[in-house]
Amino acid sequence: MFTYDRLLFLIDHLIWAILIIVFVFFIFQSEHFLTERNISNIMAAAAVLGVLVAGQTFVLISGNFDLSTESTLGMAALFGIWMIVPAGVPTNGNGILMNPYLSIILTLSMGAAIGYAIGCLITHGKMHNFIVTLASLIIIRGLMMAFTEGAPVSGFNNPRADVFYWLGHEKAFKVPGFGNIFVAVIATGLIYFICHLILKHHKFGRELYAIGGNREAAAALGINVDRRIRQVYLLSGLLAALAGWMLAGRVVSVQSNLGEGFIFTVFAGAVIGGVSLQGGRGTMLGALGGVLLLSTIDRGLNLMHVSVFWIKVIQGMIILLAMLLDAQRVRLRELSNIATSEKKL
Amino acid sequence: MEILELKNISKNFGAIHALQGVDLAITPGEAVGLMGDNGAGKSTLVKIVAGNFSPTNGEIFVAGKKTSFSNPLDARNHGIEIVYQDLALCNNLTAAANVFLGRELNSGFGFFSRLKHSAMNDHAGELFEELKSETRPKDLVERMSGGQRQAVALARTRLSDPKLVLLDEPTAAISIRQVAEILARIKQLKETGHAVILVSHRMQDVFEVCDRVVVLRRGYKIADKPILKTSREEVTGLITGALETA
Repeated sequence: MFTYDRLLFLIDHLIWAILIIVFVFFIFQSEHFLTERNISNIMAAAAVLGVLVAGQTFVLISGNFDLSTESTLGMAALFGIWMIVPAGVPTNGNGILMNPYLSIILTLSMGAAIGYAIGCLITHGKMHNFIVTLASLIIIRGLMMAFTEGAPVSGFNNPRADVFYWLGHEKAFKVPGFGNIFVAVIATGLIYFICHLILKHHKFGRELYAIGGNREAAAALGINVDRRIRQVYLLSGLLAALAGWMLAGRVVSVQSNLGEGFIFTVFAGAVIGGVSLQGGRGTMLGALGGVLLLSTIDRGLNLMHVSVFWIKVIQGMIILLAMLLDAQRVRLRELSNIATSEKKL
Repeated sequence: MEILELKNISKNFGAIHALQGVDLAITPGEAVGLMGDNGAGKSTLVKIVAGNFSPTNGEIFVAGKKTSFSNPLDARNHGIEIVYQDLALCNNLTAAANVFLGRELNSGFGFFSRLKHSAMNDHAGELFEELKSETRPKDLVERMSGGQRQAVALARTRLSDPKLVLLDEPTAAISIRQVAEILARIKQLKETGHAVILVSHRMQDVFEVCDRVVVLRRGYKIADKPILKTSREEVTGLITGALETA
């Protein structure tokens, strides 16, 4: 019993130990790893992934999946810039030349609207969340290609575009040892803090855990399950749009395949961080650990000049490992529970 | 005056007639045993009283006023508390969280409200003590034994002061010592002027604490007798169909 509990504790907090080990490993592998510039870059990349993982964490806790966020991310980045920059090569905007602040508001609203629409299809339409979000993933990506006919949209050297790029591009201040702290990093940190407060101290979070833990019980006790599910998908869409807005500032030129394949990294980050695929379990701190670990590994392998293809293989294996770990957690938890409850009457 | 009166309640699920024209009335201080074989309609009746679904036909009166429940919260607000057969617990939450589920204590309001964790933990702790249970409010429900889980579900019914407590097969998965506790609890509820509906397969429990027994078979109410005017044999006969009515 003690061993099951201790093992569970170890697995749940393993993420931080692994992070340290991986960090040390990369320090020895490349002299450029422990530089301010590199640490700063890891954190900036982690910021974007982090926002997506935050949204997915909420969805997973409620017992659902949202496969569409990589497309919403791409769509937001593309749409935002597309509305601002002039038409024609090389910017390839739509020529409306919208006010960038308005574009930001519109982009975030669009993300929220996409999320809410998905939520409605799932609750009112009674469709399975996997199918709906998978279809959305494909449809939104298709729309992105349709809007731009595959041409990249960018606002290089465009002062109005710079307003849009601010979130992903701007550096806030310098911290000795960590280098430049991007605004994006601060934004993500704030988001994680707020999400943590919601999960732990707000009725919304409590109800999400309940729905993920025992949906029928939650409904029987008066929780409006459908309403919460719509809200959680709205949040997921909104955060995905925010992540897209952030990413636009990092890449400047937005291709219509921006974010493709990212969803797997998002799930890996969440699961490694202790968020269960079965629902009802997970914390923002754990998710943060997962995000940092994946970003560190990605950056470290890059610095080691490992081929992009092998990095993909390794990423796939990490995802597999994360799933294995989750399965073990479930098994250990059951064993631990049986052992504990048998001790009492 | 009756706390709850069901008149001519029917419930159909498509072609399935789960309940057909059931009348039931219960007064304060009374414990009614609801018995019947599997498929008799007991669970359906429980769910209608609990507010999980509305009857296809028939009327519900609470304290003399005609009402309808659109959801479980509605039923609760009318003073009806249920302990479900599967206890309706969330394994991933603590005992206190489960007790307060759906009616958490908050400070502040709306978006800026905060869960009052210590208040809920403390109050839940008090409720467990009253129930003479060793359940600890901060423990996760998944680590608990059947009896402790039962205590969590029972503690829920003591959050408000309900007029009617409905217990669906409460003694099914607990130890003998706990059965005595539940029965003592029911007697206490009666003494304090509450009404109790006990849905049970166990004849000995029904005959020990109930004042009346109601038997359902195939959706119909085939008997509604004071305990003192019937016997275990008669009730068994009614449940199985050996006796048509009594």
